[in-house]
Amino acid sequence: MKIKVDYTRCTGCKLCEVACSLQHTGTVNPWRSRIRVFITEEYCLPVIAGPYTEAACNSKGVRVIDGREFDECVLCRASCPVKPIFKEPDTQIPLKCDFCGEPPDPQCIRWCATEALTLVDE
Amino acid sequence: MFGWKGKILRVDLSQGSCLVEDTPLGLARDYIGGRGLGVKVLFDEIDPRVEALGAENKLIFATGPLTGTGAPAGGRFIVVSKSPLTGAIANSCCGGYFGAQLKFAGYDLLIIEGKAPEPVYLSIRSEEVAIKPAGHLWGKWTTETEALLKAEIKQKFDIWEASDTSIVSIGPAGENRVRFACVMADGGRAVGRSGVGAVMGSKNLKAITASGRGEVAIADSEGFKKAVMDFLEEGRENKELEKRHMWGTWSLPGRANKTGTQAALNFQTGYFKPFEVFEDPAFIRDNIRVRDEACFGCPFACSKRSRIKDPDYPGTTKGPEHETMALVGSNCGIGDLDDICRANYLCNELGMDTITTGATISCAMELFESGYLPEKDTGCPLNFGNTASMFQLMKETSRRQGFGDLLADGGYAVAEKYGHPELFMGVKKQGMPAWHPQGIEVIGLQYATSNVGACHTKATLPMYEGRKDPAHHVEWTKQDQDALAVVDSCVLCWIIYHGPLWSEKPLVWLRAVTGVDYTADSLALIGERIWNLERLFNLKAGLSGKDDNLPPRITDEPRVNNQVVHLDRMLPEYYRWRGWDESGIPTPEKLLQLGLAGKAGAK
Ligand code: SF4
Ligand code: SF4
Repeated sequence: MKIKVDYTRCTGCKLCEVACSLQHTGTVNPWRSRIRVFITEEYCLPVIAGPYTEAACNSKGVRVIDGREFDECVLCRASCPVKPIFKEPDTQIPLKCDFCGEPPDPQCIRWCATEALTLVDE
Repeated sequence: MFGWKGKILRVDLSQGSCLVEDTPLGLARDYIGGRGLGVKVLFDEIDPRVEALGAENKLIFATGPLTGTGAPAGGRFIVVSKSPLTGAIANSCCGGYFGAQLKFAGYDLLIIEGKAPEPVYLSIRSEEVAIKPAGHLWGKWTTETEALLKAEIKQKFDIWEASDTSIVSIGPAGENRVRFACVMADGGRAVGRSGVGAVMGSKNLKAITASGRGEVAIADSEGFKKAVMDFLEEGRENKELEKRHMWGTWSLPGRANKTGTQAALNFQTGYFKPFEVFEDPAFIRDNIRVRDEACFGCPFACSKRSRIKDPDYPGTTKGPEHETMALVGSNCGIGDLDDICRANYLCNELGMDTITTGATISCAMELFESGYLPEKDTGCPLNFGNTASMFQLMKETSRRQGFGDLLADGGYAVAEKYGHPELFMGVKKQGMPAWHPQGIEVIGLQYATSNVGACHTKATLPMYEGRKDPAHHVEWTKQDQDALAVVDSCVLCWIIYHGPLWSEKPLVWLRAVTGVDYTADSLALIGERIWNLERLFNLKAGLSGKDDNLPPRITDEPRVNNQVVHLDRMLPEYYRWRGWDESGIPTPEKLLQLGLAGKAGAK
């Protein structure tokens, strides 16, 4: 099971961040969410926290998708030592998406009104 | 504490000090936050007679208990001050992320006072608050100001910090104290009305950057989650989410025009032929839309980022919304979509309210065409539809150059100077928005009695189910004004919650988030309290019932649908519903009932 991200539908409402934070902490704090939305003038990009990696990579560059340039470090889902996101703000403990428990019930998808996030079997 | 953060950030620019205080929680409960708490603080801290552009005036950026919670359409914040345009209270609202970031940074209110000796900007990163020099930003257009600040943030911190930081700034218009300058936010959003950008400029404050890593606590998080999910579910089913998401306010210009209720040619008529193309809103969406852009926590995402193919107008901006299309479009005799976008772009970049800019220029256009305003004064031919002159004068206005110096004081000042104040189409010196009151009579009453002068954000169209019967229009006006005061205090978005639209929801969100046992009745009372306190502010500032008026064109000359607005009939009835005396002053009994007894301003 995977969460498919269609960034072209994303409006930057950040309700997914709210949903995730509420689910895991009972409060609203985007920095404690396992999904973060990167906002630019032209598009918004939801990124879901993957596993923690011990070492920062050195392959930072630009990835071109559909003729649009993306910062690879922003696209990358890993929680890593040099990245500010996907860490508890107080303790720096890494955060990782857990599909909201067992059985999976991704809250971010339920709060996303635009179907930028959907659950796919795979 | 739930909902509220319990802290106020007070920045004195004269002293260069930034202090954190406790939010008075009793007051927060009684005024909720946002517009309500803002006017309470302003009323208690300044004399309403102060010079709006003097150091004694204050500028309050206010969030509410629902800001930053994900309550649907709860992404707005409010700026409260004394308006340099109207001399009355200002309570302009704006969407985007600034309110949420201020809240995550830890503050219910940001109070700006005094005046910096040199241009500065304010940087807020949770507890790290600093006043920094802004000499390098002064004179810059608003998106360039934001871009420069974001580049600094990216360099100093990282790319995510830059993405998260929300910035408000003023353009040249605010710096030069144009009386209808706005504060711009997030690359094209506006704290539009009442000239709050001029107040910011008078304080030498160019911009504020805000980001925070704190939380907003929710009293009943399970109940809140369920209520929001039910709301989203319902919105998906009845397609309301999709409709608003698709068209935003772009469904309105064509519709208003078709029904003859569109402001056109300085309100000389309610219909403008070139606007027929907008009857299909896809024409607008297909031509200029870049992306749909939500405010924080808004599933509707009604606002649109736009771009036109003209290298002189690079990058993107937000809008034009319906009000803009009417005021700088049909009301100035301009129907070409690209030209409307150019005017919108310039207003956003220069930092001027699109509505009052349109109202001011259209007034000058009519004076010009009527022969009252000579070309030797304007420096250019200013007939309706003359876009070249309009764009030139907009730039001059932002610099207070040439004829722009007079335009910068607003349409009323122009009309008065040339001996025809009756040709200014506004209330309390603030221009009327898009809907022509002669098409929808009760809107006239709402414009006339609004505490901030004519304003689109304080009006409810009588087309909704439950608002149609004219026998109740005056009563509903009072009721809906009070309800909007609550909406603006939560802070929720007035576009989503006004009149009968989702009217039961603010109570649901407030109870779940704050844990306070508000009721429908207690909220109605709070709304009325806020409305009356604003009224007292205005009375003390020198306004009176005489300012609850409309231009004679609207009340005396049947131009649209063969109707006039019978304000003389509606106003006394309105005062009765309000519990005010016949000159529009709240009675002591009313003030006692609202917990405002003994407030100056009442007889
Ligand atoms: S599935 Fe659950 S844990 Fe994963 S990002 Fe979505 S809300 Fe967060
Ligand atoms: S909820 Fe959906 S539309 Fe909103 S920011 Fe998240 S992914 Fe984008």
